[in-house]
Amino acid sequence: MAPTKQSALRQPITLKGSTDLVTEFFKYAVNTILFQRGVYPADDFHMVKKYGQTVLITQDLALENYLEKILKQISTWLLTGAVTQLIVAIISKDSRTPLERWVFDINLVDQPSQGSVGQAQTRTSKPEAEIQAEIRSILKQIVSTVTFLPIIDEPTVFNILVYTHESADVPANEWVDTDPLAIEASKSQQVKLRSFSTDVHRIEAMVSYRYEG
Amino acid sequence: MAFNPKTPTRHRSRSDVAKTPLTPSIITGLNNVSIYSPAAKTGGNKSSKYSIADITNPFISRSRPASPVKRATSGTIQVSESLQRQANSGVIRKGGIESKLDVVSRDYVPPPKQEAKRSRSTPAMRDSRDRFITNREVTEVAATLDLVSLNPTSTSPGHTARLVAATGVPLNKRVLAYHEAPPAASDTTLTQQRELARPLYARPGALASSSGVATNRSRKIATQPERVLDAPGMVDDFYLNLLSWSVQNVVAVALSENTYIWRADTGAVVQVGEAPEGTYVSSVDFSNDGAFLGIGVGSGEVELWGVETGQKLRSMSGHQAQIAALSWHGHILSSACGDGSIWHHDVRIARHKVMELLGHNGEVCGLKWRADGELLASGGNDNVVNIWDGRLGDVTESSRGVARWTKRNHTAAVKALAWCPWQPSLLASGGGTNDATVHIWNSTTGGRLHSLKTPAQVTSVQWSPHRKEFLTTHGYPTNAIMVHAYPSLERVAEIRDAHDSRVLFSCVSPAGDMVCTGAGDENLKFWRIWEIPPTKKKKEKQEGRSLTGSGILSLR
Repeated sequence: MAPTKQSALRQPITLKGSTDLVTEFFKYAVNTILFQRGVYPADDFHMVKKYGQTVLITQDLALENYLEKILKQISTWLLTGAVTQLIVAIISKDSRTPLERWVFDINLVDQPSQGSVGQAQTRTSKPEAEIQAEIRSILKQIVSTVTFLPIIDEPTVFNILVYTHESADVPANEWVDTDPLAIEASKSQQVKLRSFSTDVHRIEAMVSYRYEG
Repeated sequence: MAFNPKTPTRHRSRSDVAKTPLTPSIITGLNNVSIYSPAAKTGGNKSSKYSIADITNPFISRSRPASPVKRATSGTIQVSESLQRQANSGVIRKGGIESKLDVVSRDYVPPPKQEAKRSRSTPAMRDSRDRFITNREVTEVAATLDLVSLNPTSTSPGHTARLVAATGVPLNKRVLAYHEAPPAASDTTLTQQRELARPLYARPGALASSSGVATNRSRKIATQPERVLDAPGMVDDFYLNLLSWSVQNVVAVALSENTYIWRADTGAVVQVGEAPEGTYVSSVDFSNDGAFLGIGVGSGEVELWGVETGQKLRSMSGHQAQIAALSWHGHILSSACGDGSIWHHDVRIARHKVMELLGHNGEVCGLKWRADGELLASGGNDNVVNIWDGRLGDVTESSRGVARWTKRNHTAAVKALAWCPWQPSLLASGGGTNDATVHIWNSTTGGRLHSLKTPAQVTSVQWSPHRKEFLTTHGYPTNAIMVHAYPSLERVAEIRDAHDSRVLFSCVSPAGDMVCTGAGDENLKFWRIWEIPPTKKKKEKQEGRSLTGSGILSLR
């Protein structure tokens, strides 16, 4: 496998391709979080092969449709570069206090437009395997957070929040402005997780959880 | 402290209120300010920094640093300084002056990543948000902000930009959520229901099945017999052995005093023999080649009949009680008697009794030769399994045999005995009602290899010639036919209520796919339990019935 040959042949990843990658990553990340934190019963999830490992995806149709709608809109926003953060907030069902916040930062990778005149066409595009490996490591890390995240005993629900630019085109009747569901500063702990990047987007992950004392 | 943040300034606002409990941080800020001031005189750097703080707040008049008097007004500077610091460290208090004035047309939200920085650098200032005021404050701020007629455009864009750069909080951010709530997780009652429903789709054998037939998902064993023959007069006696299937594909069944043979190929039924007056047939067994049929009767005689001719060839007497079991090996026909004795008869010679085996105190109801003739297994009403040396050698009439192994593990009568066709040393024995256990023995070492507890009395056991499985038939209370895997002893199939009464007799077809069972309900049922592996068929034809069955062992 000659990497140079590959990079020469491979097209640099497009915005759309990167968007698809990122959206797909979110889907699997959200599912993994929902499974790991027990927001939905474990029976609801079944295993599929993705990114070279088995990941869990919900079978519950209602949840699947719900996520699909959200992700579609997020994908649209990603194309326009309007979204900056994606947050999966896990809140207690009864008291509505946020227990965990999984924050995914979305940054656009700055490409020097005039740089590298010699290789104007091909900026060294990142091999898909490498992107997959990075995603794999994030998912594994999310799973491993169970070791330090406080156990959640109560029934929980999740909310997906999106931080967008003001200029973003928001379908008014579908998305509403809301409270960011932030955890009280005195009670929160943060752990920064790994990140991955395609050539267009850079995703950073972080989890902040509610921790008493 | 002279500089009480509570001191009303013209900038008194929510921020001050918010700052009330944050005195320590303010003091720290104050101290920092005081440190800076002397340095400002000397080092230009710091002063420039200081001046930057000035610029950020247009409302703050430029004041000389380090002037204690000015501190009152520079209290705002100091506020901004500490605010700046906090901002640099990633914190902005809600309702901070800057934020209030410049920005937030929407609810202000400290982004979570700021919290990360905050915890590292300034733990003292961690409590940026008022502990005592909840999120409500945000909306209240918004309300008052409107009153304060804030207008983002009224401040200098440079200031805003610097603020953005300083705080890292983008001003024009919206926090959006999908208007629908996520679907509720199925509540615990549903999971409980799922648990209850689990037996319905669970693999059989994993759960105690209440009724009906259970088979593996992958194995399809017909739950209905392929053929049912009427067998009027079949005696419902546990201790008898009234069924035999020859290699010629002929089934012999004894009904009271008559014996019939049914040809499986043609379906023809012929009566073979009739027991002498006043007695009944207690056991039947075909010879190894299928040419002769031995019939034991209740009075103790052993009759020899030719299958093709249908004629009685001889009658061997001597036993004192009913002949409950017969087993052939070549020209030796062994008979098991109700008095506990086992005789070997050489059917070719006139003085047929060649050996006597005494090892049982109760009626011997199970008798099986090993296919190679090395060993003979017998089971009795005394719960004992004896494994005898099969060599007869130079024997006289009075020769006594000695059991090589005597096993007393069973707690009930042992009628079910079977030698494994593909592993010659294996012997399976099954116990009666009290026991209901199948033990598998290694006849070479005498060790007990496996034990399988079954739910009902074991009336017979048959090994599969082609698969590593064995079949057991049962009486009280399930009347079932069960197929087990070996050596895992996993239950492959169970056919409950195979008969209306106890399934007492069974025999395997020479092809190895059908099992014939008989019961006191006067039915003879033929079940297709196993499939004949196609390749093995050819092998079988070539080798005849291969005893070692090396090909079979390579299966699975």
